[in-house]
Amino acid sequence: MASLTLDKVRKAFGPVEVLKEINIAIEDGEFLVLVGPSGCGKSTLLNLIAGLEGSSDGEIRIGDRVINDVHPKDRNIAMVFQSYALYPNMTVRKNITFGLEIRGVSAAERDKAVADVAKLLQIEALLDRKPSQLSGGQRQRVAMGRALVRDPDIFLFDEPLSNLDAKLRVDMRTEIKKLHQRLGATIVYVTHDQIEAMTLASRIAVMKDGILQQFDTPQNIYERPNNIFVAGFIGSPSMNFINATLINDNGNLAVSIKRDNDPIILPLKDAPESYQGYVGKDVVFGIRPEGLTHKRTGSDQPGSQYFNFDCKVEVIEPTGADTMTVVEIGGKEIVARVRPDRAPQPGEIMTFSADMSQISLFDPVTELRI
Amino acid sequence: MADIQHYSHDAGWKHTILRGLLYLVLILFAAYYLFPLFVMISTSLKSLDEIREGSLISLPRVITFDAWTYAWNEACVGVECSGIKIYFWNSVKMAVPAVLISTFLGAINGYALTKWRFKGANIVFALLLFGCFIPFQVVLLPMSQVLGSLGLASSTTGLVLVHVVYGLCFTTLFFRNYYVSIPDELVKAATIDGAGFFTIFWRIILPISTPIIVVSVIWQFTQIWNDFLFGASFASGDNAPMTVALNNIVNTTTGVKQYNVDMATALLTGLPTLLVYVLAGKYFVRGLTAGSVKG
Repeated sequence: MASLTLDKVRKAFGPVEVLKEINIAIEDGEFLVLVGPSGCGKSTLLNLIAGLEGSSDGEIRIGDRVINDVHPKDRNIAMVFQSYALYPNMTVRKNITFGLEIRGVSAAERDKAVADVAKLLQIEALLDRKPSQLSGGQRQRVAMGRALVRDPDIFLFDEPLSNLDAKLRVDMRTEIKKLHQRLGATIVYVTHDQIEAMTLASRIAVMKDGILQQFDTPQNIYERPNNIFVAGFIGSPSMNFINATLINDNGNLAVSIKRDNDPIILPLKDAPESYQGYVGKDVVFGIRPEGLTHKRTGSDQPGSQYFNFDCKVEVIEPTGADTMTVVEIGGKEIVARVRPDRAPQPGEIMTFSADMSQISLFDPVTELRI
Repeated sequence: MADIQHYSHDAGWKHTILRGLLYLVLILFAAYYLFPLFVMISTSLKSLDEIREGSLISLPRVITFDAWTYAWNEACVGVECSGIKIYFWNSVKMAVPAVLISTFLGAINGYALTKWRFKGANIVFALLLFGCFIPFQVVLLPMSQVLGSLGLASSTTGLVLVHVVYGLCFTTLFFRNYYVSIPDELVKAATIDGAGFFTIFWRIILPISTPIIVVSVIWQFTQIWNDFLFGASFASGDNAPMTVALNNIVNTTTGVKQYNVDMATALLTGLPTLLVYVLAGKYFVRGLTAGSVKG
């Protein structure tokens, strides 16, 4: 187990810079998730940590040891790959112990290690099979077994669940989380799935175009996204962005959203100091679907600040637990999360409540959080 | 209802005729290719008298293997009359090492070109590929100079070298295309497990290469065994491969032309490649199409 530090890490392929000054530091036992759309550089970053690619600049440290020029096999890391990368010609047992064998661990110790890991992952019955005789979920377990058996400082996971079907993915997600809690291992996990990121991580690094957009705890990233990209990427359905103006409404700051007939005015209580400079200017008003609900009162949930407005319903999408209600405000489709028993009919005029305690304002030009 | 029955009856009838035509054409083609083989086999089993009396296509009245044993033990190659057998072994001594070495080198090349990509790997591969298109005749003179300076002129070792060099382009192409479809993650995983270039090659890559090894072996064996030009140019006399000896037997017989011996010698010469195809043919097709379909 060890901490991991990435200090101003850069990576360029020729003139193309794929990673720009990445600074990340996690403590021993943390679960770091690198998340972002494809091509954002998250897998490259993982390969840099693994040593499968060399960084162009910056420093990578495991614990206090700088590992930039250390060969992958000497970094004391283990990696689980998206395709599992099980050796097709070897049995499960051989697959798991191959790394130990190469490192000169005695046969007796190898047998004990493989038995322990097989028990932990419940793959004892599969040890003498070849990878081709295993199902996707079983292969996944074997791939994890191969990483676990080495007892490394850091585990690296490269989209390990993306080849599994939806149901199995959720199960394995829980198992990985359990495993992390039991072993207390330091894990770096790459995914493009923001739900995986939210559920697994102790800290998330959101990336886009080789730039680290935000590095924080899942809850902070969810509640206080750094910019419009992070706000839109994390959370499903994603955050609503509405073009609005910040106004001074009788001494209180408020968000004014233009409409054909009358504007929606949503007052902001306890507005942070940073909002002051934007009074009278355009802003992007971000509110998550769960912040827009059927009509509620402040007493429903202490600490919330509900303000009501009427709007025509365009489409409804029931999900069972909630009914996603699509309305049009300011020329944009906005999703509100409504309790099924309060769900409207399309075309109906309905009163919505906006919870103003959980909103974000962004600069429309820089797209940064205000 | 009646219409439908009529229609389907009509279609069935048409279907049968088309099938029949198809089979007829196929049988004609098969016969076209098999007929020379039939003539060769039947002639080789006849006595010389019978060949003179009977027609080309008639079956042997009395089957005799005299021509075969004569070809193997006594046929005259030039002035030497000890049969084709020493040349058969010459060909074996040439083909087996050349096939194994070129296949092995092709495998290493393909592995390095796909899994350990270096700067200019594509150019190296393109140049190797270019080697596939160089006609034999072009390299004859430079090759003989090289062999001469190495002291390998007119030796089986020299022939092995020539065939290895010439076959390398093809075997590299085979293995490179096969290894492209093997996920890189396999090599990455093994690297993290602590294995190096050759450990990964021996323990992981080579064991999963059976189909393409078979393709390479069949291809190389056929090419090398059947080669005449290199054999005739770079190995002479007692070191000549079987194809060259066959030519000498057929062309240098004085007096009566022994067709049955010629046929038997030719069949003996062709037998090893035939055998390789029969034994490994299904892997050949499987290997050629490997990678095109996932699974």
